[in-house]
Amino acid sequence: MSGNVIKVDARNMACPGPITKVVRAYRKANNGDIIEVLATDPGFKPDIEAWVKRTGCELVELSEEGGVIKAVIKVVK
Amino acid sequence: MAKTLAIVMFSGTADKFIPLGVLTQTAANLGLSVRIFVTGFATPYFTKNKPEPRFPKEFEDFVPKIHEGMERIKAPSWYDMLKDAKEAGDVKIYVCSLMAEIMGIKKEDMDPIVDDVVGATYFMQESGDAEIIFI
Repeated sequence: MSGNVIKVDARNMACPGPITKVVRAYRKANNGDIIEVLATDPGFKPDIEAWVKRTGCELVELSEEGGVIKAVIKVVK
Repeated sequence: MAKTLAIVMFSGTADKFIPLGVLTQTAANLGLSVRIFVTGFATPYFTKNKPEPRFPKEFEDFVPKIHEGMERIKAPSWYDMLKDAKEAGDVKIYVCSLMAEIMGIKKEDMDPIVDDVVGATYFMQESGDAEIIFI
């Protein structure tokens, strides 16, 4: 059984807005779901890495293109 | 990492309300409990007839840039950040009973965001082994 893909658009939001949006998605998500986040906040990369460490979720992808950071997270609950 | 973040909110200036909102929201996001003790000049900003916090005079030069920047990034207000954090996590806001008495503010005058009017003993007890930061 594969999880749902939840898309979170946090572009043009400043700290702590993007992580707040991720947390909201995470709370509703089930184990194995994928959260795909787009963000432009310059602190988002270290923040999402710290958050993943805290929650034990899996960071599948973390990339940046044209000032947009993309994070793909596999929910582990 | 501590399980609780305890904040004494003393300053009533606009520059200090920004970190209050950001730290509270962030702690709630990380699943920490947050206990805020409102006292000193911050007290009137937690009543129903709250004034708009002002920037301190020595930072006057920065104010237009800060306002313009906050507008541009659509930064939420400190109040909305606290409200949001309360909805999302275990966040309690207490107003200092001594300061409320001094300023003649009654329990029914408090903004709905306030959980209770308490003394310092209750706040310290609630904060447990948490680090207490003073803003």
